[in-house]
Amino acid sequence: MAFLTRTRRSRRAKPAGNEQNRSTGGRESTVPSFRDMALSSDLDANLDRLKEIFRDCSDIVFREFLFAQKEQIRLALVYTDGLADKSQVSEQIMRALSLEVPVAAPEAEITRANALHFVKMRGLCIHQVRESARVADVVDAVLSGDTVLLVDGHAVALINGARGWEMRSIQDSQTEVVVRGPRESFIETLRVNTSLIRRKIKNPNLKIEMFKLGEVTRTDVALVYIKGIASVGLVAEARNRLARIKIDGVLESGYIEELVQDDPYTPFALLHHTDRPDRVAAYLLEGRVAILVDGTPVVLLAPTLFIESIQTPEDYYEKSQFMTAIRMLRLLALFLSLTAPSFYVAIISFHHEMLPTALLLSIAAQREAVPLPVFVETLLMEIAFELIRETGIRLPRPIGMAVSIVAALIIGEAAVQAGMVAAATVIVVALAAIASFAVYYSGSVTVRLLRFFVLLLTSVMGLLGLMTGIILIVTHMASLRSFGIPYLYPVAPLGSADMKDVIVRAPWWAMFTRPGLISKKNRRRMAQGLKPEPLPTGGERHCWRKAGLTAGRPVFCWSRFFLPARFCLFRFSLCSTPVRTPGSQLFLLLSAA
Amino acid sequence: MARLVVGLGLRFPGKTLFQYPEIILGKAAGKAVALLYLWWFFQNCAENYRSFISFLAVSFMPETPLMVFVAFALIMASYGAYYGLEVIARTNQLFLPFVIVSVVLLFFLSVPEMTVNNLLPVFEAGMIHLVKSTAAPLAWFGEVVTFAVFIPYLNRPGQAHRVALFGILGTAAIYEMTVIGIIAIFSPALTAGYLFPVLNGARIIHLANFLERMELVLVVIWTVAGVMRVTLLHWVLVLGSAQWLGLKDYRPMILPVAVILTALFMLIHKGILEEYYFLAWVWPLYSLIIFEAGLPFLLLAVAAIRGVGGKSG
Repeated sequence: MAFLTRTRRSRRAKPAGNEQNRSTGGRESTVPSFRDMALSSDLDANLDRLKEIFRDCSDIVFREFLFAQKEQIRLALVYTDGLADKSQVSEQIMRALSLEVPVAAPEAEITRANALHFVKMRGLCIHQVRESARVADVVDAVLSGDTVLLVDGHAVALINGARGWEMRSIQDSQTEVVVRGPRESFIETLRVNTSLIRRKIKNPNLKIEMFKLGEVTRTDVALVYIKGIASVGLVAEARNRLARIKIDGVLESGYIEELVQDDPYTPFALLHHTDRPDRVAAYLLEGRVAILVDGTPVVLLAPTLFIESIQTPEDYYEKSQFMTAIRMLRLLALFLSLTAPSFYVAIISFHHEMLPTALLLSIAAQREAVPLPVFVETLLMEIAFELIRETGIRLPRPIGMAVSIVAALIIGEAAVQAGMVAAATVIVVALAAIASFAVYYSGSVTVRLLRFFVLLLTSVMGLLGLMTGIILIVTHMASLRSFGIPYLYPVAPLGSADMKDVIVRAPWWAMFTRPGLISKKNRRRMAQGLKPEPLPTGGERHCWRKAGLTAGRPVFCWSRFFLPARFCLFRFSLCSTPVRTPGSQLFLLLSAA
Repeated sequence: MARLVVGLGLRFPGKTLFQYPEIILGKAAGKAVALLYLWWFFQNCAENYRSFISFLAVSFMPETPLMVFVAFALIMASYGAYYGLEVIARTNQLFLPFVIVSVVLLFFLSVPEMTVNNLLPVFEAGMIHLVKSTAAPLAWFGEVVTFAVFIPYLNRPGQAHRVALFGILGTAAIYEMTVIGIIAIFSPALTAGYLFPVLNGARIIHLANFLERMELVLVVIWTVAGVMRVTLLHWVLVLGSAQWLGLKDYRPMILPVAVILTALFMLIHKGILEEYYFLAWVWPLYSLIIFEAGLPFLLLAVAAIRGVGGKSG
């Protein structure tokens, strides 16, 4: 709170700059403002200043040594212990400069004046070296793991990219598991994550813009997009939204998600998040932007459509027919997980006449022994389920297993046998719970929350309450936008060409446009007429030739001939025939008929 | 009628039904006409709430007080009206396929119960009676006047004619289908005796001992469609009253309009039978003559004579 008030006050007072001082300089105001300082040419002055800045930072290492020449020049290394690669620092920098340069180039005339140039060009055996004259850059570099080399007599620091710290290795994705498709997932190090994307998209148009967010944490944030595919407006919008973030720290991409989303209060995820590089690459190829945050494997993707919460990367790797069926299953799951308990409550307590007699009798028999009204019972079961889920996730894995077994046994078996809960309630709640996991995680969180809302409304008004809940939710969703794109697109507003990837996952040869609203200009994804067709044989080939179709495969589009394009829910192809004479078109039509 | 309304709308691009009477008729008379329309929309909206709710109340929850229903309906309608036309349209777009599919499904599921002979004899009552009894459906379709409020908000106002006609024809087709289906099931005499013949139609669907009690589907359709309709009218009212009062934003009007509608809703009818009589015999002529044909025609004629507004339509 103290920090917040201070920020607010100082924001009013200060026009720009001096940020570091504002956020850190509360308790100890001895840290000088170094944001605008330049290095001096005196090594001692520089070191004093850096030591002052890094006072009480026990992990910062200062190491002075001599550049072994006749005219001895003093050098100093500054790096963070644990972030810099120690073997590289000692071998490629210190050993090279103090021992090997004199051996390799004994004739070289090294003076104070050309020392910097000589060190950089012939001395350092480091793959990445850059220069800077600003103290702020030096501080950032040291804290990011780089090793800074200061040369006496020069007001320029050499920043060596000899980073190396302990990191997790690349592992299987934890949140989105696939059967067919790549397994790798992002890790906590930003550079590794960008390399995973770059490995998938080897194109200079893949742009990775860096931001430093968090005035205390100075977290690296990368805005990734493909120039020429992502619309210019979208990239500019993303850049603006990132640039206006002023916060003390960014520890996870969730911070950024809540700061940049379009509607501040919605429970729906307006930015998709994933830890899978293949998903990120696919989204980038559709003209979206990705926001990577250092320190977390979770990458944000924008803009997002609601329908993406039932899509998985595997949808595009596995057979389209199968994945279409699975998508319908997931839609059903989405619907069930939202409404199943409410529907049950509505039927049991308001509209028993809707049940077939046999079922009604069996449920009535179960409910006779149960003391609670059905709404309370369902609510309690829902809460119990959420408890089990929560403990199952948070507890250490071995104990978590035990908890879920005990809970399942007690609630599933004992509660029903003791006559405290009707078996039907357990079935319905379990069904909704399982169904909620068929939806992507962020979607399922939202649905689970809204389930309670709908349940409450239903307990008041039965089926009308259920419908009220659904209509309110849909109205709310219709009002949402993600980076300007309507959240329910392509269903509402209808994008008939993009319905190919909603309920149906069209085969790849039919998905030759990118989502229309997202990739505004550059819509074409592939060449037309890629639909594989066996070459005509024998007499047929003769016919094709007669029709003037010697080259290329004739492609026939039923939608063009039988239905105006507007009425097709999804167009399988907008293909053109290789030869466009009226005669050949007619022939094609006839032969197809 | 649709052509009339669209013609008016296209003459005054960017202006709604509540704004252009002022341009056509001058300030005082224009305000008066706009106020008349506002009144009519209030009444219309209240009637819609009434019929939406009385179906649910009478056939499913006869013991629940009407106020509870009104509260729920108003929450939904106000929420939609708060977000405005675009969101209402999108919500509708999402629900419409389900509604249409369910209506068609109900029709086909009840085919086994139909007797085509029930439809005969056609034109039994004679032409005059036929024309007289078309007044009620005509008045329902005449609510296309509402269109005069959306035209300025269309992305492509040039297509307004087509959209309006398509809307009317589509609605008419579904309406015809339902009516024919129901008469074929129950015969005209029985149909006339039911309060909600479609509900009874849905109740008798029995297929393979499994698909029973399809009235559930009907409730869902009715709720969704009813709420969409009411939301739209609510929005029209809110927008209209804000424009009539010269407000910049329509949102402050949501609550007052909701309050007025609640009061009107409770006052207009004593019971379902009176409501039926009113809707069948009073309402159609009243709204058809004055608001759906008379006033638009008058406005268009005056506009044409005075030469106000852009040339189009």
